[in-house]
Amino acid sequence: MAYETNNHTIKDRIYGAKGGEVVSDQYVIETNDLVKSYGPHIALDSLSLKVKAGATGLLGPNGAGKSTLIKTLLGLIGVTSGEGKVLGFNIRTEGENIRSKIGYLPEYECLNPGLEAIHQVAYSGELIGMNPTSAMQRAHEVLEYVGMRDQRYRKIETFSTGMAQATKLACSIIHDPELIITDEPSNGLDSRAREFMLKTLQQIVGEGGRSLLMASHLMGDVEKVCDRIVMLHKGRLIAQGRIEDLKSIEQEIEIHVWGHASELERELQNSGYEVRRTGRVMRVVRQDESTYAAIIECAAKSGAQLRRMNDHEPSLEDLFIVIMERLGYSVKSSAELFQVGGSGSKVDAPFELKEVG
Amino acid sequence: MEADENPNLPDAEFLGQTGAKVEGQTRLEAAYGSGDGDEQSIPSASVAGGTKQHEQAHLGTVFDQSYQSWGGSLNPRWARNWAILRHHVYGLFSKGHRPYGIATKLILFAAFLISLGDLGMSFISAIFSETEMHRVFGVSKDNLYGHVLGFWPRNAICFPIIAALLIGGIISEDRTHGTSAIYFSRPLNRIDYTAMKFLSVAIVLFMLIVGTLGIYYTGDILMQGEGWAFFLDTLPIFLGAALAGTILVFTYSSIGLALSSVSRGKFFPAVALLGIFLGMKLIAFLIYVLFERSVLYLLSPYDCVAHVGQALVGTTSTYDHPWTWSLMSLVVINAIALYILASRVSSMEVTRE
Repeated sequence: MAYETNNHTIKDRIYGAKGGEVVSDQYVIETNDLVKSYGPHIALDSLSLKVKAGATGLLGPNGAGKSTLIKTLLGLIGVTSGEGKVLGFNIRTEGENIRSKIGYLPEYECLNPGLEAIHQVAYSGELIGMNPTSAMQRAHEVLEYVGMRDQRYRKIETFSTGMAQATKLACSIIHDPELIITDEPSNGLDSRAREFMLKTLQQIVGEGGRSLLMASHLMGDVEKVCDRIVMLHKGRLIAQGRIEDLKSIEQEIEIHVWGHASELERELQNSGYEVRRTGRVMRVVRQDESTYAAIIECAAKSGAQLRRMNDHEPSLEDLFIVIMERLGYSVKSSAELFQVGGSGSKVDAPFELKEVG
Repeated sequence: MEADENPNLPDAEFLGQTGAKVEGQTRLEAAYGSGDGDEQSIPSASVAGGTKQHEQAHLGTVFDQSYQSWGGSLNPRWARNWAILRHHVYGLFSKGHRPYGIATKLILFAAFLISLGDLGMSFISAIFSETEMHRVFGVSKDNLYGHVLGFWPRNAICFPIIAALLIGGIISEDRTHGTSAIYFSRPLNRIDYTAMKFLSVAIVLFMLIVGTLGIYYTGDILMQGEGWAFFLDTLPIFLGAALAGTILVFTYSSIGLALSSVSRGKFFPAVALLGIFLGMKLIAFLIYVLFERSVLYLLSPYDCVAHVGQALVGTTSTYDHPWTWSLMSLVVINAIALYILASRVSSMEVTRE
């Protein structure tokens, strides 16, 4: 069951991250009923993904199956059943081909602290099969690209988190991969380094024409870099598609009320509208054009003053909360699930997920 | 407090201030924010102590970030494997590869010199035409055996320490630093990774143990001016000693790498390797002295290799049990070590350790 952007207005061709540049028509990742189980535990449950070229965010709480999916896509672990292709290569049989076309930026430390950045990056290129001379030459290029030109000959053990992260990115793009998989690329970075990292990733996709699969806990980062998302929960796909289209699944009108808010809330609910309320701010699910007039009418009946009424521009965070609510999780923010280790409490689902696509 | 209460009453929940009296200004702020609308025209302070332009000017660098593609081709499997081997072996001699401590390099150099001690004595005997001295230090069954498998000092303080220094972090550091992600996200399989790590340790040990044996053997023949007959007579003994040395190198490497693969640091595998080689030897020796039973030597990897080496070179056996038992024990010990190594390497992750 998944939200799928089957909106008819979606163009067949997809566009680079925020750059508006046409990249490709093809799926870079495609899986069909992919299942991976560890004994009785099902890590990936009938996962059918279709990820187009461009920038895609991979979202999901801890234990959702993101790491398993990444390992599966890299061809490092066998799948229990189902099929999958990455850049046209079969994940079951062509893992080495996949890994030679992919750049992977791990979440955790992966650099030898005793090496200088230039040698670490060159070595990572040699491990892909670049000859030592071209690996060294390319290492200079990519380190300059990630803003590490003046730190090339410094030992990695002296690097800040941001510099280490930039070096990791340089390692992952040294062979100019067609697809880059990044796992929490802005983890632990200060705001400046984070901005630079996100801008660089955007540029790799927009200007370099590469594809990006970005696993992150930070909705803002994903929204900034990616056009599309894939959202997993407990090994299952719960949403995939363009962020803009997913957001339009549920359009809301935000109203600021002064006085008699409870009466207005009841009035709206009695009129058949779905209302979410925080203090004097309410969000009413927009059903059609008549919703605006209905809100004003309900406000007049209840005696509430409407101080402001506007269409709510939902963020990815809002989208996440809506989806989790529909799955029956009472969460206030993505952090509750993502960073506290999945502590969102399960409640009765207010309504069923709409299956589309 | 609910927003639908009388607006004239204090709003107890406003901005977390319980019971705060809310006046007209506060209501405005609640509805429209607390800004006065002139934020854009007010200069804002910057951390660097100036304007943004000043901050950029202070950096003084124009950074033009532009992605460049790469059109080269990738080499096949052997080149990737060669990269791993080169990285680990060249690290002992040059910068830019796997970093080894200066102490490791110095001890390796010292061990190399010690290993060539018999060649030095042979050289002195050749210079002074000391036949008695040459009889002691020249090429013979015992000396070829002793060069590789003599316990003191080579297998007591020389080879095991070098092996311990080499294997210390060779796999465990990939766990500690997470560099396994760099390896396994590349088109490398785990067999290649393990084999190249194994080979890189084995090559250095081989140069130290068997390489110096070859130098000693050929050097002594040349210095003493021995003829082809001597060469042909002693060649099988030399090959037997070289084979025994190779088995020793293999055993040091397999046990060492297995220990490194179960650890996350340098210290444990190094100390454990010394403990296994020297500790088991000591225990077996004590048992032999106390009970006159040599069978416990089957648990000592060094003694198993030494026993097999004695059979290969043809020197007098110093053990009571048959050498085939030692060979079997050696096979079992190495099989266990390689099994541990393989299973531990297969559990190394690219995503999280």
